[in-house]
Amino acid sequence: MAQVPVQTIHRDPQLFYWILFPITIVMILTGVLRHYATVLMASAPKKQDQKTTREQRALIHGINVRGNFHVLSRPSFETRRDALTTAYESGAYLKDPENRGQPPPNPMSDPSAMEGMMGMMKNQMAMIVPNTLIMSWINAFFSGYVIMKLPFPLTIKFKSMLQAGVATRDMDPRWMSSISWYFLCIFGLQAVFNFLLGSENAANQMAQQMNQMGPQGGANMFGPGVDPNKQFLAEAENLAVIEHYSVLDGVEQRLLEGIKA
Amino acid sequence: MAPPTLLPASQLSPADALAVAQQAPAFLRSSPATVSSSPLNTLLYGSEKSELWLQYENLILTCLRTGDDTAAHAALRRVVSRFGDDNERVQALQGLVKEAEAQNDGELEKVLKEYNQILSVNDTNIPVAKRRIALLRSLGRVSEAASALVQLLDFSPTDSEAWSELSDIYLSQGLYSQAIYAIEEVLVLAPNAWNIHARLGELQFMAATAPGVANGSYQQYLAEAIKRFSRSVELCDDYLRGYYGLKLISKRLLADGSKPTKQGDGNEFVVPDTNTLERLNELATAKLAEIVRRSSTKERGWGGYSDTEIAAARELLAEDESPIKR
Repeated sequence: MAQVPVQTIHRDPQLFYWILFPITIVMILTGVLRHYATVLMASAPKKQDQKTTREQRALIHGINVRGNFHVLSRPSFETRRDALTTAYESGAYLKDPENRGQPPPNPMSDPSAMEGMMGMMKNQMAMIVPNTLIMSWINAFFSGYVIMKLPFPLTIKFKSMLQAGVATRDMDPRWMSSISWYFLCIFGLQAVFNFLLGSENAANQMAQQMNQMGPQGGANMFGPGVDPNKQFLAEAENLAVIEHYSVLDGVEQRLLEGIKA
Repeated sequence: MAPPTLLPASQLSPADALAVAQQAPAFLRSSPATVSSSPLNTLLYGSEKSELWLQYENLILTCLRTGDDTAAHAALRRVVSRFGDDNERVQALQGLVKEAEAQNDGELEKVLKEYNQILSVNDTNIPVAKRRIALLRSLGRVSEAASALVQLLDFSPTDSEAWSELSDIYLSQGLYSQAIYAIEEVLVLAPNAWNIHARLGELQFMAATAPGVANGSYQQYLAEAIKRFSRSVELCDDYLRGYYGLKLISKRLLADGSKPTKQGDGNEFVVPDTNTLERLNELATAKLAEIVRRSSTKERGWGGYSDTEIAAARELLAEDESPIKR
């Protein structure tokens, strides 16, 4: 088989210094800037009043009793179960008992919920605005160049990713355009930010998007729009169906056998 | 193991505490006087660590303990300048320093008034609420402290520190069943804490041996206590307090010539039969003897026991042997 001739493109070495480095540096600086912007814009967590704390922790207390009932002896577990179920069903722990049974307020009209949404909006803006700006900056100044050749071969599928903005059909996918370098930077700078800003930085929007898609169970448990009364009733039911056993049942036998063995 | 400045100050032995407090001026000199979170600093010196503030907090406590008030104030100033006057934990720390420096009860009352005022503005300030309870207790107003704790636990029932303090208060008043209830709550929050299991066993033993206990509940308490101690040993091998309790109770039950009152309803724990008790007693004796022997010859890996506990175990073992020698 005939050897496919290696494509060579003569590039001005200055391309390297005037495009590759500026894009990288700008990306890093934007990341740092975004981190500090997020820190500045972050609103302090709102203080909860005593009743809200009570409502939430009473529920967590019930969940703990349900999860760890096996450390208790049967009489003490049953005392707790009776007390908790009665209190849950009568709504003793509710923040405002007179609102029981009414549909939860519209989350859009609840001011405390609005604040959470504003925070989310701010974060989104902090991601979108600089990205749009840099993207248009790169498009305006550097589009249409091939700036570097990757040191490893790639299949043809990578062409659309690496050569965005350079419409040449036959070019080897190893050649890379400036806009593709920008995308690589978006995805690949996390390590640099971790080094510069510590591991809990807000510089990289990819990490933030991951967080948003991740499980939100913990955050949403007490979020707006959740009816605490329903949670309490569900928890009372969970407690009621527990079949009690104790970790102390036969512990001496276990101990004697375990040590002997 | 963590350096002593990172351990909770209450866990340090007096000698360690003194050593830490003596290092305080050097520590204060070596760490920057103000920590700024400006980007330039972060790039130059690395970002600020939360351990640093933990160290400051421990330093304040140890310095107060050893009487080095100037170092405590210096460390407190830094904490205040970093977190501000209105931070809940800082307020509690400031109060603590004032409590430590108070010369008489009148000054303590003044601190108490300050706490009350802070709490009237912000009733969810848990650190200050806890300080207030501790202060009430040390002023001797135990019932007030207990009711304040109950009120704190009503809105924050997931606080194991508060539950164990409540248990301790009740125990000091001789209210055993309440103390047991409170320590059980701690167990619900930390189901695998072997020291709490052993503590519950101790409480049950105390409740069983308290004067005026009916025979039925006496057996009941001891049956659960022996199980609690077994569980604590099961969770942590070579746990001295667990074996100590195991031996103490199995010996007592054997001496009672246990005639297990069979309660067939299956609801409650029953005392194990004599054979099991004997084996448990043997096991605990052997283990205690091993622990005492190994830790008094300072074998590697057996050094973590406190001297008083070893001495108590040795005494318990000696009680056993003396009739044979005579």
